[in-house]
Amino acid sequence: MDEEFEPKLLYILCSWCGSGGSESARAHGLKYPANVLPYRVNCTGSLPPVHILRALLEGADGVAVSGCYPGDCHYEGGNYHARRRVALTKAILEALDLGEDRLWFRFVAHGEGRRFVDTAAEFNDHLKELGPNPLNEITTT
Amino acid sequence: MKGINLKSDDANAAARGLLARGMEAGLWDAALVPARVPAGDSYAWLLLRDAAALERTTPLPPVMSVSGARALYKLARHGTARRVVAVLRPCEVRAAVELYKREQLPLDDIFLISMDCPGAVPLKDYVEDPEAGEELFGKMLAGVEEPGREICRSCDHFSHTASDLHLGTLGVPEGNVVVVPASAAGEAAAEKLGLGDAGPVAEWEAEVEKRNASRREAKEEAHRALREEAAGPERLAATLGRCIGCHGCRSVCPICFCRQCYFESEALKVPAANVFARAERKGAARLPADTFLFHLGRMAHISLSCVSCGACEDACPVQIPVAQLFGLVAANTQSLFDYEAGRDRAEAVPTTYYREEELAYLSEPYVEARAPEGVGADG
Ligand code: SF4
Ligand code: SF4
Ligand code: SF4
Ligand code: FES
Repeated sequence: MDEEFEPKLLYILCSWCGSGGSESARAHGLKYPANVLPYRVNCTGSLPPVHILRALLEGADGVAVSGCYPGDCHYEGGNYHARRRVALTKAILEALDLGEDRLWFRFVAHGEGRRFVDTAAEFNDHLKELGPNPLNEITTT
Repeated sequence: MKGINLKSDDANAAARGLLARGMEAGLWDAALVPARVPAGDSYAWLLLRDAAALERTTPLPPVMSVSGARALYKLARHGTARRVVAVLRPCEVRAAVELYKREQLPLDDIFLISMDCPGAVPLKDYVEDPEAGEELFGKMLAGVEEPGREICRSCDHFSHTASDLHLGTLGVPEGNVVVVPASAAGEAAAEKLGLGDAGPVAEWEAEVEKRNASRREAKEEAHRALREEAAGPERLAATLGRCIGCHGCRSVCPICFCRQCYFESEALKVPAANVFARAERKGAARLPADTFLFHLGRMAHISLSCVSCGACEDACPVQIPVAQLFGLVAANTQSLFDYEAGRDRAEAVPTTYYREEELAYLSEPYVEARAPEGVGADG
């Protein structure tokens, strides 16, 4: 494991519970690793897989997605649709051996600041273990 | 399964006869069928309004120059208001069914006839030497040659599909063609056409099952070999490296119907600064950019509906095994949702619905109140 390696981690959050989790973290004075780049979408259900793929192809070492818990999505089933799309994206990455474990999905509630920072830190550690995303080494993507 | 015997020793003649009878009986106002082009070096789809014109058609041509689903879509995407019969290969039927399910192709006035498919000859080979192509196809039909196109060699959906009527030729004694009604409309048509006695269905079914079993094995082996050749960042880069970004594979794909394709849109026309940033990060930036994104993104859009028809591969000017790559990925994405493209008109496309209790494994296990390394409460 390369001790120097700081993963580039894109953390996609819905604008309700996901971002709410990060706000709660702030309110409780909890911090997440500085290399985590939060990226807000209205609802995880509005996140197209192509954006995840684009991130993984253009510099990210990992992508995490957090939206509202089942039943809590502000647009009915956006979170369930998102879960299907994340599963679909992982299946593509898996079939072509492109690192499906660089994509995480986890529900986070508005008040769960702790869960939000823990997830960021946990995923960060996971990516440190995996090392740099080999897709970033390919100049011809 | 019941079936009717159509006495004929030529599947094409049997199909033509069936179409002519149907048109004369007033079942259909027009037929969509392939016919050889005047120069003789390919086949094209024709819409015919007159049974007499069927003479010069070839319902089961050696090549799939354009997917029949695409031809049908061009005709019927907003409905036809006339009853049209189309004779398609099984993969073309399945693509039409996917378009129907994606609300792009109303099938109310469309009657689909499918035929046992021996595979297709690679389009480029045929165009280069049509006579050799005809000869190879003859051997494929006789079952003494493997299908010309690689994707067809591992096709395990070469027979009975979600069509209205299916014409079976595999395993049946010479001089017979089995007609299998596969829908209520198919049953009604068979009755109206007054088709004869029960055909040798058992023989046909046994042969289809036997061939299917060996094709399933071939498919597994093909996927294993392809993963060895093309899976992983380096190897995928080697496989896609020669892509010229013409997007021909997308233009001919029967499933890619979008009015504005994302990969032709402003979203991917990045400013020079973005390309410079890529060059800085990776040491070089390829132009045109986003080769991987185009293929992987298209897989995200349509792999659930990909029917492994091979049109993309036939179209590729630089011999990238596009259909095989899509087939490999589609096997994984479709099995994830227990889905099979084109299997059933009533089966919804997996991205259009969800189940609350599914995919629980996706919520990564969480260790409550884990103290993150080097970070924590600052108050
Ligand atoms: S690649 Fe995607 S956006 Fe483009 S035509 Fe196909 S489905 Fe539509
Ligand atoms: S991706 Fe290729 S094989 Fe799949 S449906 Fe489209 S053209 Fe056919
Ligand atoms: S047809 Fe071939 S060269 Fe053209 S975009 Fe598709 S894979 Fe690339
Ligand atoms: S609003 Fe949070 S996932 Fe839909």
